[in-house]
Amino acid sequence: MHPVVPSPETLSAQTCWSCVREIEKAAHFCPHCSKLQPPADSDYFTFFGLQRRLNIDLSALEKEFYKLSRRLHPDVYARATPAEQQWSTQKSSLLNDAYRTLRDPIARTEYLLELEGVKLEEQSRTATDEAREQGKEKQQVVPPDLLEEVFELNMQLEEMRMGKKMGERDEQVAKDLESAKGRFEQMLSSSNDDLRKLWNEWDQVIASGADAEDPNRVAVRDRMVALLNRRSYVRNLVRDVNEALAT
Amino acid sequence: MAYSNKVIDHYNNPRNVGTLDKSSNDVGTGLVGAPECGDVMRLQIKVNPDTQVIEEAKFKTFGCGSAIASSSLATEWIKGKKVEDALAIKNTDIVKELSLPPVKIHCSVLAEDAIRAAIGDWKKKHATAEPVAVETAQAKA
Repeated sequence: MHPVVPSPETLSAQTCWSCVREIEKAAHFCPHCSKLQPPADSDYFTFFGLQRRLNIDLSALEKEFYKLSRRLHPDVYARATPAEQQWSTQKSSLLNDAYRTLRDPIARTEYLLELEGVKLEEQSRTATDEAREQGKEKQQVVPPDLLEEVFELNMQLEEMRMGKKMGERDEQVAKDLESAKGRFEQMLSSSNDDLRKLWNEWDQVIASGADAEDPNRVAVRDRMVALLNRRSYVRNLVRDVNEALAT
Repeated sequence: MAYSNKVIDHYNNPRNVGTLDKSSNDVGTGLVGAPECGDVMRLQIKVNPDTQVIEEAKFKTFGCGSAIASSSLATEWIKGKKVEDALAIKNTDIVKELSLPPVKIHCSVLAEDAIRAAIGDWKKKHATAEPVAVETAQAKA
């Protein structure tokens, strides 16, 4: 689980441990004496000095990553104080986690949703608990027609795998799978397009200065959650169909 | 991560895999999914209309070992139970029985969802005297 921490807006200034002058809270180095600062209680966006936006300039991110890698590297602090050595190790490891998360579009979106208070891992259980307590039927987070399709396709895949074990290759099933593959790849790419549109909406909401409770901010967030839920099914299908067709 | 012996047993010898006639009036079908991992589970029950006892339960799950074990166990548990008693089964009971680790809790949630969805479907077909059930039946139509 990623750490959930305050947003950059709530971070205030602090002082450099070495020269005691005022510096920005999440600064890696003191702008006055250049000393390495202890790890701040900050999220990955803040670590890279970014706002909580989803459209990211990946080449700029990469450059910053390499620059920080060099400057934070434990070798640089081999002869520094034990505290600085420890900070450099901690920050180097944070840097790698942050970079790996932010450069991947889906990981970045999931991470942002977590920062926004969405518990992706627990949403289903929470909904089940609520439904049970209220004696109501649970609203499935994935549309029923997609579930039907996923189920049917899995049946076909299983049939094909069994046939293969027996040394047969059912041409009709193979044909069906080919066309299903095209359809699901199409779905995956259109869900990627939809996600990018939601990124733009999100970034606009953030640019407008909306706070965490802003209804627009919450609405875009929830639409991204729904989209990612759908997408994980389609992604699995594409993977499974490719696997079945490859052999 | 190691699976518990019970999970492995259910995975290797799943109970009650199969299909019941979806169109039968006495059969309820639940099709549910876990967005966390993209698993999908179908659970079907056949209810005796006179006694309200679940006489048959079948499942088919596409997913990890824990999801298969959870649904296999769920069918074992609900068979022979009255519909109302089957509704009392909670995902936490399944977690306990199978010693599922925290990352696999959603598999047990899926199994509970499947039981409730199958019973819900069966209730809709019967549109019993309960006002709630009638309402949902109309909403669907």
